[in-house]
Amino acid sequence: MIGNILLTLGLLAGVFTVIMYYLTYRGYQNTLSLSRIGFHTTAVMVIASAALLLYSVLTHQYQYKYIYNYSGSDLPTGLLMSTFYAGQEGSFMLWTFFTAVIGLILLDYTSKRGDLEPRVMMIFSLVLSFLLIMVSPLLKSPFNFIWLENDFIDLKNINQAFLSLPALQSFIFTDPQANKQFIQMGKELHAVLVSNNISINDFIIQGKGLNPLLQNFWMQIHPPILFTGFAMSAVPFSFALAAILKNEYRDWVKQAMPWILAGTCVLGLAIMLGGYWAYGVLGWGGYWGWDPVENSSLVPWIVGVASIHTILVQKKTQEKGGGSRFVKTNLILSIMTFVLVLYSTFLTRSGILGDASVHSFAEPGMAVYLFLIIFLGLFTVIGIGGIVYRWKFLTEHFTFEENVLSRELALFTGSVALIAAAIIVAVGTSAPIFGTTVQTSFYNELNLPIAIIIGFLNGMSILLKWKHTEGKQLWKQSQFAVISTVVLTLLVIFIGGVHELMLIILTLSSSFAFFVNTEIAYKIFKGKKTHLGAYVAHIGISLFLIGVLATAGHSQQKQVDLVKGQKVNVLGHELTFVGYTPFDNGKKYHMNIEVKDGNNVRVVSPIMFIAEFNNSLMREPDILVGLTKDFYVAPVSYSDSQENQQGTPATMKGGDKTTFEGKEVTFNKFVLPKDMSAMQSGGKFRIGVDMTISYQGKDYKVEPYMENEGQGPTYFPVELKDIDLKISITAMNATNAEVSLLFSSISKGQSTATAPKEILTIDASIKPFISLVWIGVLTLVAGFIISAFRRSKESLV
Amino acid sequence: MKNKYMFGGAIIIVFLAVMIFLFTQTNVQYESSFAKVMQTGKTVKATGSWVKERNYEIDKTNNLFSFYMKDPEGNTMKVIYHGAIPNNFESSTSVVVTGKYHDGNFHASDILTKCPSKYQDQAGKKANS
Repeated sequence: MIGNILLTLGLLAGVFTVIMYYLTYRGYQNTLSLSRIGFHTTAVMVIASAALLLYSVLTHQYQYKYIYNYSGSDLPTGLLMSTFYAGQEGSFMLWTFFTAVIGLILLDYTSKRGDLEPRVMMIFSLVLSFLLIMVSPLLKSPFNFIWLENDFIDLKNINQAFLSLPALQSFIFTDPQANKQFIQMGKELHAVLVSNNISINDFIIQGKGLNPLLQNFWMQIHPPILFTGFAMSAVPFSFALAAILKNEYRDWVKQAMPWILAGTCVLGLAIMLGGYWAYGVLGWGGYWGWDPVENSSLVPWIVGVASIHTILVQKKTQEKGGGSRFVKTNLILSIMTFVLVLYSTFLTRSGILGDASVHSFAEPGMAVYLFLIIFLGLFTVIGIGGIVYRWKFLTEHFTFEENVLSRELALFTGSVALIAAAIIVAVGTSAPIFGTTVQTSFYNELNLPIAIIIGFLNGMSILLKWKHTEGKQLWKQSQFAVISTVVLTLLVIFIGGVHELMLIILTLSSSFAFFVNTEIAYKIFKGKKTHLGAYVAHIGISLFLIGVLATAGHSQQKQVDLVKGQKVNVLGHELTFVGYTPFDNGKKYHMNIEVKDGNNVRVVSPIMFIAEFNNSLMREPDILVGLTKDFYVAPVSYSDSQENQQGTPATMKGGDKTTFEGKEVTFNKFVLPKDMSAMQSGGKFRIGVDMTISYQGKDYKVEPYMENEGQGPTYFPVELKDIDLKISITAMNATNAEVSLLFSSISKGQSTATAPKEILTIDASIKPFISLVWIGVLTLVAGFIISAFRRSKESLV
Repeated sequence: MKNKYMFGGAIIIVFLAVMIFLFTQTNVQYESSFAKVMQTGKTVKATGSWVKERNYEIDKTNNLFSFYMKDPEGNTMKVIYHGAIPNNFESSTSVVVTGKYHDGNFHASDILTKCPSKYQDQAGKKANS
């Protein structure tokens, strides 16, 4: 109740804030302090709601439908906290929370810079208000009670003490297919519970739990960082619109720059954390699948990076009273960054991608779908509409020419290449809307040449001077980089064994970027260290690209069966499966494998277990991490029986005959226990399958049977060695009086005398230089941070 | 003005052309009717559900995983996948397989499974070969 009240008050305060800031912008005198009160009230309501949700999650308040659906009582604290954002309601709440907090900092920042605050905060509060509509009780509030809509709750989640109450019996029913019992939760049951003085929170004592795929460390950090990045993308949007409102375009780029750097940094880090999660936990051996959820966050990131470079040009050209360049471009790119974030939210949350993504979530309903379209549509219209409105003025005042050998043109061309990549990814990702998809080769083949162009332009844009560069001077500057690049590429070709043309060119391009940036970084390091940001970031990207092309081009993979105790040579390592050890209270298993290289022995322990959540087999890889390569081991399957799965199956009813390898088999009847009471009370009982085999004139009577001790059936087969026939039971159905059997030849199968062999099947792979992917990302993040600090100081001047 | 539009425009035009070409080469239609899946010789993404009653088979020597799928019209089709059984196959009802139908079977290179939405929210898991 109180949660929904807080959110509703927050929404009302948000709308009030937008109106007040608008009036302030129009010149009314007393509205500024009202606006600030409005914004602070909104923020306080949001923060209080988030705190309440966190508290409710930690104390298992299952009367809230959201908490029942996504949380459980037996999760460790860290994972329990992460159930806050495990579902749509909570993740929107998290996004709203970060937006409110960032808004408070933004308010302070803009209040110190002339008349910026009303314009920027008006737009920003509008964004916050729309997010608050999304989490309002009308749409996706995490505080909606569980009885407001009819739903079925598994009885195992209900406090057993209440189950015998006569008033409840009409709500309980059994699902024969799933073999489970449920209680129907709804307004009626709620009324009954209330009249019996039973609180819902005492009644429901366990939640559905957290999806086991999400139960790991990365779940605790990847989503919060991602939503911080999303929240920050609203800042350049607000600044761009503030400039459009005032029709003044010089100052906003300087003022917005540190925010764009910080936001792009955070979003990029979040995206690659997702990649690292996929690599380390999910077991398919990669870190990027071109999945719609991955792609849709990547597209705004690329556009954000492009905007940083064109804004740099505008800033430089404005210095010393010069004319501003790329004004229209910067407005468009900053607006599109946020619009694309909204588009990505629409793609991934509306259910429109349905079958195309591993991240597909439940259909959110028509109301949410429509609201997402309205949210996206309105801000697109506001943003693009603003630019259209000012287009005439912009074209009249800001149009110039660039020299070909100039840094301005190189940066612009680089940004265009980045935008081309963004368009490609956006088109491929949106294809399912039109009922079709693209394969991953679409992305790889198109992005490879773009990456090449970007690497080359990156190096060039640093070597070129602003406005104009002499050809001879250019050659002198680039000598070191060009020579080092050629040397490194030759090494990669001959020692690394890379022969594909495109990969060689990519090596040339990324090494060129690497050496140019390193050379300059070294010079700058001796002087003004604050200026290092860009070069460190570019070194990061070139390392990243080299890591990508090494793993993409040269990973090796092999699937192997490891018999326990036997040494097997796999991809240059000697592997021995030594057995499994249970952990986590016996719920999971480490499958231990010794890896020997020369004299060095290490143990790699991929994990297998059955998840209670959905009764499926879960598999996690283990990795031997190294600087020059990773040795990656993913478990595929494990078997410890000599069950021969090859054989001929047959399903028979009483009296049926069938033939196997010349032997005629008749199923006569079931042999039921004389005393049926054991079967009904869950005790031990036996059912036999009376059969007659005829072969070469002789008849044999056999009776394979099933024993059940109350926990499930165990089947006992029969073997007729004289005629080389084994009959195993695979299933029995008393209702239909059918038995499912498997006939096999004893001689062709495994000997029954040997002890069961333990076999672990694994996918082993070598990932060369994947460390560069992660080191590259971290270096990139460091570069962003250094730049953000520098531009933050500059924005005050 | 001219230089920047020349360079920028050239890149965009070249890439748009290549993109459109590659799009037509790599695009894969979704198809929920098995009758159509069996007729077309092309690679498609067939959607449907796993027929639990007909079980599944794992052939370890050839690394094959096969099962039966049915579409909304009730047609069934045998699917053979070159790889291991996906992680949550047993609890899935809805399946999307990428591949081609020939010689009486659908040969899949990719399986996407989804959990039943009746009592819990959908989640998906992808298997790549």
